Amino acid sequence: MDMKRSYYEDIQLLDSGTKKFWFGSLIIILLIIPFLIPGYYLHEVSYISINIIVAIGLNILVGYTGQVSLGHAGFFAIGAYAATLLVKHLPFFPFIFALIIAGLIAAAFGFILGLPSLRLEGPYLAIATLGFGMAIIQILGRFSVFGGRMGLSVPDIGFLNDLLYDSGLFTKTQSRDVNLYYIIMSITIIMALMARNLMKTRIGRAFIAIRDSDIAANSMGINLTKYKTLSFAVSAFYTGLAGGLYAFWMGFINPDSFDFILSILFLAMVVVGGLGSNIGPVLGAIIISFLNLNLQADSISAIPLLGDLLTVITENWMNKGGIASVSIIIFGLILIFIVLFEPLGLFGFWIRIKKYWKTWPF
Amino acid sequence: MIFFQLVIDGLSIGSLYALLALAMVIIYKTSEVPNFAQGEMAMVTTFVSYHLMEYYGFTFPVSFLGSLIFAAMLAVFFEFFFLRRAKEPNILNFIIITLGFERMLYGLAAWKWGADQRLYPSSFDPLPISSSDTFNFGIISVSHISLIIMSVAFVLIGGLVIFFKFTRLGIAMKATQQNLLASRINGIRTNRIMSFTWGLSAMVGAIAGMLFVPGTATPLDSNLMLAPLIKGFAAAVLGGMTTMIGPIGGGFILGIIEKFFGFYISSEFETTVSFTIIVLVLWFRPSGLFGRHYIRKV
Amino acid sequence: MIKRVLMFLVMISAGFLFEGCKKGGSEILIGQWGPQTGPAALWGSVARGTDCYFKMINDEGGINGRKLKLLIRDDGYNPARTVTEVKKMVEGDKVFAFVGGVGTAPGMAVKEYLAQNKIPWVGPAAGSTHWAYPPTKYLFSVYPLYCIEAALLIDYAVKTLNLKKIAVFYQNDDYGKVGLYGAEVAMAKHGLKLVEKVSAEITDTDLSSHALKLKNSGAEVVLLWVLPKHGATILGTAAKTGFKTQFMTSSTLSDAELMFTITKGLWKDMIVCRFSELPNSDSPLMKKYREAWKKYAPTEKWSTFFQSGFLFAETLVEGLKRAGSDLTSENFVKAMESIKDLQGTGGKMTFGPNIRQGSNTGFLTKVVSATEEKKLTDWVTSDINIDEVIKKLK
Repeated sequence: MDMKRSYYEDIQLLDSGTKKFWFGSLIIILLIIPFLIPGYYLHEVSYISINIIVAIGLNILVGYTGQVSLGHAGFFAIGAYAATLLVKHLPFFPFIFALIIAGLIAAAFGFILGLPSLRLEGPYLAIATLGFGMAIIQILGRFSVFGGRMGLSVPDIGFLNDLLYDSGLFTKTQSRDVNLYYIIMSITIIMALMARNLMKTRIGRAFIAIRDSDIAANSMGINLTKYKTLSFAVSAFYTGLAGGLYAFWMGFINPDSFDFILSILFLAMVVVGGLGSNIGPVLGAIIISFLNLNLQADSISAIPLLGDLLTVITENWMNKGGIASVSIIIFGLILIFIVLFEPLGLFGFWIRIKKYWKTWPF
Repeated sequence: MIFFQLVIDGLSIGSLYALLALAMVIIYKTSEVPNFAQGEMAMVTTFVSYHLMEYYGFTFPVSFLGSLIFAAMLAVFFEFFFLRRAKEPNILNFIIITLGFERMLYGLAAWKWGADQRLYPSSFDPLPISSSDTFNFGIISVSHISLIIMSVAFVLIGGLVIFFKFTRLGIAMKATQQNLLASRINGIRTNRIMSFTWGLSAMVGAIAGMLFVPGTATPLDSNLMLAPLIKGFAAAVLGGMTTMIGPIGGGFILGIIEKFFGFYISSEFETTVSFTIIVLVLWFRPSGLFGRHYIRKV
Repeated sequence: MIKRVLMFLVMISAGFLFEGCKKGGSEILIGQWGPQTGPAALWGSVARGTDCYFKMINDEGGINGRKLKLLIRDDGYNPARTVTEVKKMVEGDKVFAFVGGVGTAPGMAVKEYLAQNKIPWVGPAAGSTHWAYPPTKYLFSVYPLYCIEAALLIDYAVKTLNLKKIAVFYQNDDYGKVGLYGAEVAMAKHGLKLVEKVSAEITDTDLSSHALKLKNSGAEVVLLWVLPKHGATILGTAAKTGFKTQFMTSSTLSDAELMFTITKGLWKDMIVCRFSELPNSDSPLMKKYREAWKKYAPTEKWSTFFQSGFLFAETLVEGLKRAGSDLTSENFVKAMESIKDLQGTGGKMTFGPNIRQGSNTGFLTKVVSATEEKKLTDWVTSDINIDEVIKKLK
């Protein structure tokens, strides 16, 4: 069923009936979700969706090209600030162009950061990218154009806002959420499809060749300088664009939100999801950002059985105010166990479930 | 005069970076794991030592030794139960596993000891040390603690160099890092060597952690080692992660650059500038200042 | 095909299960966010203090026959999480108002949203200028501005101690800068200039070059506008470099017991600006609070942060009482605006139709020992021009 007879079949976006069906149903579900769940969940879905874009972008670099980056929060910040400043100072500028320009500015920085990657690998590249991420925060915090340490408030993008409000279905706050949701979700789908396509082109195959062996790739005539920096730039473009969306989603940005921990979170999404797959980063972004938002002190003590046990332990042996920190432990354990028991990440689970379902009841 | 004061301050903090970097390099050399949990391992160990003194009334030397044993056990536990279980690991998987362990330890410390800041050590009894006394030479003042830190660092570094050069265990460790398969064929139990490496590295890191608190007069809390870890890592990379001399040189250089830049130009960009310098150095010497760059051949 | 359609239906119905809203009848729901985890977890006790205060009020019979209920959500000092938690509390739990809320950045992230949704917010736990300047309808600030505190300290140093060489050691963010600019403006008023200003990043651990810079400036007074950790570090480092001078600091570092312990007594003689009564003061209100603490939260530490959770909520409770049984946002705002010279454990609170900064007073104390502080002044306020500080911040 997965047999391909010609190159054109290979580059087709939706190659089988099954995929067409699922893609169609996914679109329908995503379209009607705003009518099903309350605004604050929708808001979370939008946040997760932004992270999906970052994870897809980071996956191009880490999963397909095999380069490490601990500095993607820096690109995220560049995108967020660029989009904000554009919309703020040029009110007539459509937000979508602002987003694209934000992505392109991030891509330019990605290109620059890509240059050292030609010579560095492993921990050396990790530190170089990490330093980049930290420097960006400092520079953003230094200059008053960027609002200094205090940050900037981001104007609303009123795209469908009034339309949704006038329809009478939503309140003012809800229509803002729904509007953002539709914008973010459609951009996410477009970006995901683009990434999927990119990996099937000459460029994508060059990336993969570099990951598998850059020496072999080079000797086959792949220009390492070009493709490595390109990979950084494309990845930064995705992240910068997502950063712009984040700014609109948040309504307020400050440099300290884009710290080193955020870069780790992004990396965790890709690795937990499954490196070098299309569906993996999506799953990873969903899980990690959901956990990041929802592991709370009261939700921990509400876990059946375990919650009570943890409460007892806390009261007898631990610091009384410390139970919220169990969420951090759980987060760490999830990272470790997914990598240990499923090297393919959630993508591995996905494949197994898919196989099980396809062959059921055998 | 200020110049010498800055050199002394830079050497003092640099030797702490050097110790942390050394701990990371010991692990990296044997198993190619960039250990992001090094800082938190040191932090938890420092807390254990604090706990032994504060709640069980042990003296400083006893709690110091006790927590070193704890550090070694913690690292061996981590290596045995987590790292060794990884299937077909690559460097990214290692980064994620150690980051996961870092989060775990951080959460554990925050759970056990809360967010309050503590004083560590409350006293060095029965050692005749005070955390704020200084020797004064003209207008340069060197605190007792800085002197102790520097001498401990030098002794430790010297000891480790001798250990890796002249003892059977040290040579076995070096052999393991150079060629795992060959050393196994030659009868080295590489798994056991791995455990030793982790234990050793954790102890070096823990000593750095326990010196860090009195050395910088920082109160003890669970956020203690987040920033120093990055500095230590940067020092290791600056010097080169494949040599012994690398992390030591890297640590001292980083410490001195930081102090001089912070004093003469701006304390605001202390960290940024050190990272910029590191990136520049790596551009010209991709394996660090002291590391030899191996070009992979097919 | 059937399999697929089945799957699709299952997924759709799962979507419906998401629903879930709770509503309290005889309760007044109040929300508060505060970091229980992460680098700022030290301030988590503010929210737990408010909780303790509410329990006390409830046992006294509640407010107009209704009980208070506090929802505490952990945002880990991450604005993105603050936004989602606040949205959940407003749209899901339908909280009536917010009280406290640690941090300038998390507060800024939700300020606009709360205003749009007409949710009253009393006493953000930061002395920033962003809350009440310019005033907005639903936001009532209780915490005196950091710049006022800095100005009070400068006035005291220049006028009473007659020390004119003053330096500022500040954290490089909004908190530190408001303090720095307050000090600069106050110095300009006396026709003086700061001899040195040194900034620290929140992630800095070694402050030896900072201490050396301060020492080199020959400052007779150093204002510390940093967090407790850096406060302890700079004192320890200064002692090591042989730098002895008069230090002064803001209300953020007013937990003398903590600071005295972690600095091994170097905190002695520190001059602190406070905006709430001393934790061991004998005023009837403070005594009552101490009893409440022993009764409802005996495992907590009686610290300045914990106690400030009481202080932020005092004004809110007074407003709720005055609003009467017909509790709406509009009524509450009117009730709050009627508050004049309310004496709680802080300075006297006064709000009005265009006044949203309840109090801008503080008093200075000198630390004698871990548990004892000597009052240097009575409640005082400064006459510096706040607009000038805000202009500098822009």
